[in-house]
Amino acid sequence: MSEILAKTESVVKKSKALGADEVIARTVDGRNRQVRFSNNQIDTSLAWNYLATYIVLSWKKRVVATQIPNFQKVDPTLKRLFELAKVSKENPMYGGFAQGKFNYEKSTADKSIDSLENPAELVFEAIEAAKKEAGPVTNTGGIFLASIADIYQVSSEGPAGKDCRSAVELSIRAFSDKEASGHAVECSSTLKGFDPARAGKKAGEIAKQAKNPRAGMEGKYDVVFDPLFVGSLLGMWGSMASAYSVMVQMSIFVDKLDKKVASEIVTLRDVPAAYSISNRVFDDEGVPTQENVIIKEGKFKTYLHNTSTAKIFKTKTTGNAGIVSPSPWNIEMDPGDMKREELFKEVKHGLYLTNTWYTRFQNYATGDFSTIPRDGIFQIENGEIKQSLKDIRLSDNALRMLKNITGISKEHQHVHWWSEADPPSLSPYILMKDVQITTSK
Amino acid sequence: MGIYVDKDLVDFALSYAEGKKVEYAEVRAHNEKSEGLVMKNGVLDAYFSAVDSGFCVRILADGGIGFASTNKWTRKEAKNVVEIAYKLAKTAKRKNKITFAKEKNVNISWEAEEKRKIEDVPVETRIATFTEMDKELTSQGISIPGRMLSAGTSLTEKYFVNTEGSAISSYVPLVSAFGFLTVVEGGKSEQAYKQFGYAGGWEALEKWKLTEQMINEAKVLQHVIKEARAVTPGKMDLVCGPEVTGIAAHESCGHPLEADRILGREMSQAGMSFIYPQGPFWLGSKIGSSAVNVIDDPTVKNSYGYYEYDDEGIKARPRYLYKNGVINEFLQNRESASKLDTRSNGSSRSVSYDREAIVRMSNTFVQPGDYDEDEIFEDVKRGVYMKSFTEWNIDDKRFNQRYVGREAYWIENGELKQRIARPIIETTTQTFWSAVDAVSKKVEYEAATCGKGDPQQGIPVFTGGPIMRLRGVYVK
Repeated sequence: MSEILAKTESVVKKSKALGADEVIARTVDGRNRQVRFSNNQIDTSLAWNYLATYIVLSWKKRVVATQIPNFQKVDPTLKRLFELAKVSKENPMYGGFAQGKFNYEKSTADKSIDSLENPAELVFEAIEAAKKEAGPVTNTGGIFLASIADIYQVSSEGPAGKDCRSAVELSIRAFSDKEASGHAVECSSTLKGFDPARAGKKAGEIAKQAKNPRAGMEGKYDVVFDPLFVGSLLGMWGSMASAYSVMVQMSIFVDKLDKKVASEIVTLRDVPAAYSISNRVFDDEGVPTQENVIIKEGKFKTYLHNTSTAKIFKTKTTGNAGIVSPSPWNIEMDPGDMKREELFKEVKHGLYLTNTWYTRFQNYATGDFSTIPRDGIFQIENGEIKQSLKDIRLSDNALRMLKNITGISKEHQHVHWWSEADPPSLSPYILMKDVQITTSK
Repeated sequence: MGIYVDKDLVDFALSYAEGKKVEYAEVRAHNEKSEGLVMKNGVLDAYFSAVDSGFCVRILADGGIGFASTNKWTRKEAKNVVEIAYKLAKTAKRKNKITFAKEKNVNISWEAEEKRKIEDVPVETRIATFTEMDKELTSQGISIPGRMLSAGTSLTEKYFVNTEGSAISSYVPLVSAFGFLTVVEGGKSEQAYKQFGYAGGWEALEKWKLTEQMINEAKVLQHVIKEARAVTPGKMDLVCGPEVTGIAAHESCGHPLEADRILGREMSQAGMSFIYPQGPFWLGSKIGSSAVNVIDDPTVKNSYGYYEYDDEGIKARPRYLYKNGVINEFLQNRESASKLDTRSNGSSRSVSYDREAIVRMSNTFVQPGDYDEDEIFEDVKRGVYMKSFTEWNIDDKRFNQRYVGREAYWIENGELKQRIARPIIETTTQTFWSAVDAVSKKVEYEAATCGKGDPQQGIPVFTGGPIMRLRGVYVK
């Protein structure tokens, strides 16, 4: 047993000795390297490392949590935590932490991230690829982030293990002109196969095509969404599948189990797979993560659960804990049977939207919201991109949009950027009918 | 102060950095003691209590910036992060070397006033405050099936030193709460959220009147479901309540005047600005009517965005962003100020020891005018009073924005008439601010968490303003 795992186990034992009913301790040893760039130059290079143990314990259904840096002041912190539990209030909906011994899959994290010498070189590759595509005056900015974390987790209820989680991502936005931009990302759990130039090239391609935009017009359009935009939509739908979101009415999926919520061609899964930057072999209760089919052929199949929410909904945990709130790890939309080009050919008069930001709701339960397309916005006429557009807003309904998906591409991409396309996803191109577009007046 | 930063170790890290060939170095330590709770539908999900502390080193060398942080308080680790930051700074290979605007060094200690000490408030009192609020809320005869509440306190001690001789200690206690409600009536639902924030002690709870405000929100939502009607779209007058005035000031004045955004440093995340060098708008450009004055002021006592010195050690002061309808002053840190050949105005903020300080707003609000509130309404023949908002957003150049009313009323011949369901103004920054013709005398503030940076740094701010009248805008 490693020293950190032994210390983590000791935290659990000490908590039990104080009188805790159930305890989980998770120690994270995280290392992060980031490069931020703009105007084709590096603005700053950052490194942040931390070692901290996150502890949650219950006593007579009172749930309290804390964190301890570097195993310092363990005893007084645990004593204080247990005192907190005694004066806290019972949570009658608390269903305990997961019980049992589990065999976890071996982590496939990329340890070479620890010895990544000069990430700036990867940034320069992306910048050059964008400039090659969109021209030498192209202005680019973005981030490169490489992170790796060793996770040591022990539960008094049985689960115990070690995981290693790694992620490499590059996000680049290229401007061929002040109002002509393209945005692309490259995301992977390993440096192997990580190709920053691929993102630079795509951002450059979109930026070049986006030149000379005209103001868009209000109306209903058939829309082809790029995987990056789809990543934002999948993050929105996936987060609403959390049982917690459902319980507080922040979801369009309230009372929707086994009901039709989407077009029959839509199947959505939560898959914390090895390729994903959100890869993990167990959740925050130590339950092995698994593939969960959220929507199958248009029907809503399961909420995402931890042990407590599963008991409330009279089902089993789905391996998505969060102690308070279960959450999706990595959303996948099953690929369709059309090629990207075939989706475009289906559109007589419509739009191709490559990215979006600032998604906000009027009402999560009904799904009324708007979001602002940015970067390449294109008019499609008879299957072909004809004109770059700007200054539009997608003002629609999250449930109606799921039902209006009419085509899904075979091609897909692993995407994530900032808090906009989050959590990460495996996203195809999708075609959606009758999307409501509004503009400023 | 009750919490502790190892200043000797911070000073040691700085002196170690001074031994390198640096153009500038700083060390910033944070020690944050936080407590909080999460409640769902009246049930306390969990209570947390934690101390997080660490320090970062930022180095300017060869015209590049390197940043490294740690939560390990040892001399060995201090040396290690200096070495990392120094090495990272030198990897930049910039053609245009980064420099910082020249500023005076400062040696000072400051803290926000804390009348009722947060550490003296028992956990039982904290929990009871919010469970009682939920009880009151659910005893009003209103169906509220979705109730989420989070609340917390943080006590943050900081110590900042740099190679120019500055040494600043600070202590800021913050109290915050966030509530989200779903009211259902006759199969229809409406939702609202409210955020509360205060720099100071537990006296915040008396000032907020949290229970009263949340009950009022629930009643408003119930009335909206039962009574509100859609507005007939068209051009009309729009009266914005302080909450709407405040969000507009934040989104379409504060953000576009962040100098780092103007210079492109946030281009791939939060975006840029409709203001840019050689563009149609710059300092001195007209953006609104002469009635428009928007200020960003970190020095408002007890405000959620309160500070006296920023995270680069620069003294905070009010920044007059839009002055009489003209773009007047950008928000600057030392890096952006140097690029624009000016001085920092103390706008550099960081949420944690492991995040770089970047240009941020503090408390952004429309300055009061000289109208009584009655006067604002009495001159409106037909229009909408948008008292509060629900959905909102703005594009990443901060020019096309949309605010959807939560509590709103039809105005006819100066009188408030029926409730209006989710009226929308979707317009440009220039159209919005140019339409303002009257501003009332009393400013009200709302707490908010402003997002920017990568990784995201949600930072506490106030938005706010008086009641403000816009003439002849399109409302739908």
